[in-house]
Amino acid sequence: MKNPYQPRLATIDDIREEVGGQRAIKTFRLKFQDKDIQKDFNFLPGQCAMVSLFGTGECFFAISSSPTQKGHIEVSVMKLGKVTSALHECEPGDVVGVRGPYGNSFDVNGWQSKNLIFIGGGIGQAPLRSLINYVVDNRKKYGKLDVIYGARSSKDLSYKQEFAEMEKRKDVNVHLSIDVEEDGWKKFVGFVPTNLLRVKPSPKNAIAVTCGPPIMIKFVIQNLEKLGFTEDQIFTTLEMRMKCGIGKCGRCNIGNLYVCKDGPVFSYKQLKNIQGER
Amino acid sequence: MDRLILPKNKMSEFINAIKTKYQVFAPVENDGVTLFKQIKDSSEVNLDFSNSKVPPKALLFKQTETLFKFTPGTKGKIDPVDIPNEKTVIFGIRPCDAKSLTILDHVFKNDFEDPYYLTKRENTVLVGLSCNQPDVNCFCTSFDDGPASAEHVDILLTDIGDKYYVEVKSDKGKQLAKTVDKLLRPASENDGEKKKEVEKKAADIITRHQKTDGIVDKLDKIFDNPFWKNIAVKCLGCGTCTYLCPTCHCFDIQDETTMAKGARIRVWDSCMRPEYTLQASGYNPRPTRMNRVRNRVYHKYSYYPKNYDIIACVGCGRCIDNCPTNIDIIDVVTKAGEVKA
Amino acid sequence: MVDEKQLRDAVKKTVSRDDVKYVVGYKNGTYGFQVTPVFAFSLEDADKFIFSPLCVNNLAVYPMLEEKLPLRKGEEEDTRKIGLVVKGCDSRAIVQIIQEKGLKREDVVLIGIPCTGVIDPKKINAKFPHQTKTVDVKEDGEKFVIKVNGTTHKIPKDELLFEKCKHCENPNPVIYDILIGKEVKTSKKENYEDIKSLEKKSLEEKWDYWKKQFEKCIRCYACRDACPMCYCKECMVDQLSPQWIRRSVNLSENTAWHLMRAFHLAGRCIGCGECERACPMDIPLTKLNKKIEKDIKEMFDYTPGIDAEEKPLLAMFKPDDPEEFIL
Repeated sequence: MKNPYQPRLATIDDIREEVGGQRAIKTFRLKFQDKDIQKDFNFLPGQCAMVSLFGTGECFFAISSSPTQKGHIEVSVMKLGKVTSALHECEPGDVVGVRGPYGNSFDVNGWQSKNLIFIGGGIGQAPLRSLINYVVDNRKKYGKLDVIYGARSSKDLSYKQEFAEMEKRKDVNVHLSIDVEEDGWKKFVGFVPTNLLRVKPSPKNAIAVTCGPPIMIKFVIQNLEKLGFTEDQIFTTLEMRMKCGIGKCGRCNIGNLYVCKDGPVFSYKQLKNIQGER
Repeated sequence: MDRLILPKNKMSEFINAIKTKYQVFAPVENDGVTLFKQIKDSSEVNLDFSNSKVPPKALLFKQTETLFKFTPGTKGKIDPVDIPNEKTVIFGIRPCDAKSLTILDHVFKNDFEDPYYLTKRENTVLVGLSCNQPDVNCFCTSFDDGPASAEHVDILLTDIGDKYYVEVKSDKGKQLAKTVDKLLRPASENDGEKKKEVEKKAADIITRHQKTDGIVDKLDKIFDNPFWKNIAVKCLGCGTCTYLCPTCHCFDIQDETTMAKGARIRVWDSCMRPEYTLQASGYNPRPTRMNRVRNRVYHKYSYYPKNYDIIACVGCGRCIDNCPTNIDIIDVVTKAGEVKA
Repeated sequence: MVDEKQLRDAVKKTVSRDDVKYVVGYKNGTYGFQVTPVFAFSLEDADKFIFSPLCVNNLAVYPMLEEKLPLRKGEEEDTRKIGLVVKGCDSRAIVQIIQEKGLKREDVVLIGIPCTGVIDPKKINAKFPHQTKTVDVKEDGEKFVIKVNGTTHKIPKDELLFEKCKHCENPNPVIYDILIGKEVKTSKKENYEDIKSLEKKSLEEKWDYWKKQFEKCIRCYACRDACPMCYCKECMVDQLSPQWIRRSVNLSENTAWHLMRAFHLAGRCIGCGECERACPMDIPLTKLNKKIEKDIKEMFDYTPGIDAEEKPLLAMFKPDDPEEFIL
């Protein structure tokens, strides 16, 4: 019997600092030590992995690299608690444990030829980045692509380099924003839900995915509904405290669904119908 | 199903014979508290008990389980541990506790198989003991079950006077029966009748009943009802109910280290504790006792049935016996059924 | 015998005050000898209140269990008082919490009950097992009158009382707003006989005794949650950085847990015995706390939970405190 609690060893290949300061965000590139395991690690955007620091603990992270990028996986980590702070102290060459992939994914097959609107805020962009890069790497299969992303200030924006590259492309519409006015910032200033109303994407043949702080999700969904999106056109990812990641420890339940197993991707229609604290 | 008789005076020999081929866990009196422990001799066994304090799920889903060992730090050295797979017998398990193992199987088998629980489960034979004298808070009959049900055990023993009526059900049971076939003889029709009498007498002793008809649908309607606040306001959040419940399966995973060695362990946890769902950001989706008590009741009577088609309560009554503030699940669920939606 | 009508009138008077959120008392439980806490939010709820020798719970645990959630926009904090029905030992818990500034005197309205002793549920359930219907217990002098299955039994009090009640020096509430009935006279004295006999044992005997007890522990923390004095926002056993006690359940960690908790209660434990009552594994926890209580009495001549104006023992220093190792 396979042991789902035992992680596979992965080496930290590269660490990129996205955001500095108190709530720092770093992207870790992990390569499984066993090349066969790396090759067989098949996942879809939206799925997550449990990353362990032996002796400190484990955390559930969204895989922020796209499955089209072979040879490694990436997770973006915000420094917040015990394990994430210890991860931030790591250096390339350090070995961590990885379990996964867990959870459900975005319906990348079902969404082919649809127009896609991805709305992210802060660290919530991590699972969206996997999705965006997957769509861009399979560009012809999908319709229009609008990426709306915002953070508190320009310093808090993640994936700056990737966005700079994306803005040059003609087949992706990038709409960045920051919350408060700043010298040198020429793009939109305001909250992400407001930016969404300004962009005014059409709900026709469209799917909207949003990830970010709960308060942002609340207003984004409100505004999406104002724009005419229906509840099965809106998707989001949820997070809960997790320990096992495989639906056994009982902790991450929302009603009868487990975020680690039946999520983290949920449609707005599902969320409206489950009773349970989230 | 084989139906046999074991004379009462042969019980000692029975246990000692099984012990030669299996490691045996049986109820042992431990300073006023009955617990399932491994026995070295049949004289340690105490069958004069209503039920053990800690349910026998603790033998398969251990309270503290080492998942694997490692060298702490970032060098990446893991030492897997051997999962014990000795042939085991849990002797004297009550039908309700045996049912709880069937219920727990769903969780540990789904999607990802849990080797720590399932290896032990596969290698364990359940020799059940019917209840002749159910306790005051037993209510297994509220779930179409009974104090002498052989449904979830491999062998069931029922005390019918000066002998035990032995029902051998599964292949595992038949294997075990082979090791003691000299002590067993076929049962007569009369013996079968006596067993039915004992069963009925025991079921009649149970007077407390919980109404669970349509509970899943009813609970869907009363999630936001203030009824839950009134139930939970006297809860201390002590977690005794969860630790003694045979179907509770929540656990925590921690890394425990010394300077040079470490192990990742799994320990029982309780959803009644405030920090159970506390996120690193400080946000807690279930901040009050009302949320947690309601979640516990719903998990047993709504979420589990929705996922696996069975109510995750066996009616053993331990939570009622041990709650310091008399929060009574029979009362709570019956009242929930009566609340105006 | 407590006049229940007087009690209910006192509850009605308290719950109808504008500045009182609710009153906590006792009502009949769901089976046998059970008594359960009841919360009165309105006058009708007050009629459920009872008081009998079965009322063992220490209700002083409830004011500190109140969850203070973040306020919504425009919402103001609910600073209304909480009413409590308290016996002698329960009131001492409230006094001790006030001493430590966990509560202010004005936060609680106390309905005091002079207590003549409560029954140990384990003893009465052993004597009359399997009671599903609610049983009535009354007092008659030095006996308890219990009507079970149609027969009336008169049992000497000593057979059923909690051990703590047999030596209780504070049966009357030391602090109250309303007193139900008259204060009881008592000549009982705490002589620590059971502690003295344990103290006389050799180190090996003592360790064997406690080893057997701590091995039973399942770390459910019922002792901590039932204790009115354990109200830390984050208990030391839940802390991870640093981790004082591991989460593994074994003799070593269990011993650490019990001894550390006993020390955290030094000079604060008022001997209500709820920890031992709540423990599902029958561990004699009060012995640990009583030993420390005895030591504190001998060293500092201090009894916790008597005077709300007094400062807590281990948080104050007097120049004549015995500290031979320093001076």
